[in-house]
Amino acid sequence: MSEFVLRFEDDLTKRPRASARRDELDLDIRRSEKVMNEPIVRFENVTKRYGALTVLDELNLEIARNEKVSIIGPSGSGKTTVLRMLMTLEHINGGVIWVDGEPLTHTQKNGQIVPASERHLRRVRAKIGMVFQHFNLFPHMTALQNCMEAPISVLGLSKKEAEARAAELLDLVGLGDKKNHFPIQLSGGQKQRVAIARALAMRPKVMLFDEVTSALDPELVGEVLNVIRKLSAEHDLTMLMVTHQMGFAKEFSDRVCFFSGGKIVEQGPPSQLLGNPQNERTQQFLNAVLETR
Amino acid sequence: MSKVDLSFIFAVLTKGVMTTVIVTLGACVVAIVLGLFVGLTRVSPRRQLRWFSIAYIEFFRGTSMLVQLYWWFFVLPIFGIFLSPWTVGILGIGMNASGYAAEYVRAAIQAVDRGQYEASTALNFSRLTMMRRIILPQAMRAMLPTWGNMLIDVLKGSSLVFFITIPEFTSAAKQAADATGDYMLFFAVALFGYYIIARALITPFVRWLERRVSRGFVREQVA
Repeated sequence: MSEFVLRFEDDLTKRPRASARRDELDLDIRRSEKVMNEPIVRFENVTKRYGALTVLDELNLEIARNEKVSIIGPSGSGKTTVLRMLMTLEHINGGVIWVDGEPLTHTQKNGQIVPASERHLRRVRAKIGMVFQHFNLFPHMTALQNCMEAPISVLGLSKKEAEARAAELLDLVGLGDKKNHFPIQLSGGQKQRVAIARALAMRPKVMLFDEVTSALDPELVGEVLNVIRKLSAEHDLTMLMVTHQMGFAKEFSDRVCFFSGGKIVEQGPPSQLLGNPQNERTQQFLNAVLETR
Repeated sequence: MSKVDLSFIFAVLTKGVMTTVIVTLGACVVAIVLGLFVGLTRVSPRRQLRWFSIAYIEFFRGTSMLVQLYWWFFVLPIFGIFLSPWTVGILGIGMNASGYAAEYVRAAIQAVDRGQYEASTALNFSRLTMMRRIILPQAMRAMLPTWGNMLIDVLKGSSLVFFITIPEFTSAAKQAADATGDYMLFFAVALFGYYIIARALITPFVRWLERRVSRGFVREQVA
């Protein structure tokens, strides 16, 4: 695992920073070296079971700050569950998830790790944003209102501030002219871009993308991927993406993890994992996926 | 039929209609407020609140409305609680209807897409804000048609206040029919009277609400 962190450091110095955007996305780069080196997300022996079915089996996974990680694998392998657990949409059956140095669903009390209060959960959860396969936009609100609601009622921004922020983000995803459209008036690709803007409006440090292009018409996939590309180039964001778009995973990620049966079977830089997979199961999966293209 | 008779009958009927309308409006407000409240506690994460609302719903939905009115009016005074007939009528009918309303609220809330709850969690809403800003506005849309039914039932049920001494539309029609012997005419007046009150009061109100909460769900305005 440590080699990825090291590689990430190299990356950090190389990656061109868009300084104008940096402070806006609320990533404090003046943190001490120690904090910066610490992984922003760490799964420690995380287990998830649905009844008798074990979806995640003692998973260990570290994501470095600003790292872009793609998760691939067959359906039912637990890849979406990883994101859902990090977003606290699923209960954890074993292990601890660390976010930014703090346990996500637990608190430390007298050296013991105990389940956390709702307050703790909400504080840590604020660092994470998520984009869903089926958009989950609020149908009774316009694109602009979708992006304003949480900043106002959760972060306590004034209506004016929230509107400015929402408008800016809708411009960023190329929907400046659709501000007052309701979700029903937007195409799938546009909806997904609004959903990305809505998540960004909360200024998360980690963005989770859960098969964000799987529900889209093939010709709309590109516009959403372009937005993600732009984000990763211009902003300091840690991104974790479950995807079936192998081409995009290759271009976008610093690391690709192949999941099967609730475990990471193989992981590595995209060129290696997608180009020259070592594990038999990975080879099998990639052959099957790439054949259909 | 003499002129005196006619004006007397007209006055009785008018008074009856007014009573019915007032009891209906009051009971509707009680039913909406309590129905929303109990429906929300029915889906609360707190077990005690859920139990309270289940007991409430079971009692008010499961027992006879007329017997409930008799209890408030004739039995409570035994325990030293005296309520005026109007209070009993409005509260009693409203609370009875709110038992049904609470179940409509619960069903509508539970029918809101799971993804809406998940998106609300991902955006870090508190449960209260999520309910108020995201879930309820969508649930309202689903529950309104059933609420329209419920409010019309309240209107028809309002005739029971006669049994706790308030003369209302039905009893006024009966009185008029008894006085004149023209049963066909006055029961026809009552029959269409209720329909017209429902059509003039409740249907436009529910339609107006439906239009208001349908924003974003349909491209065109609902008819």
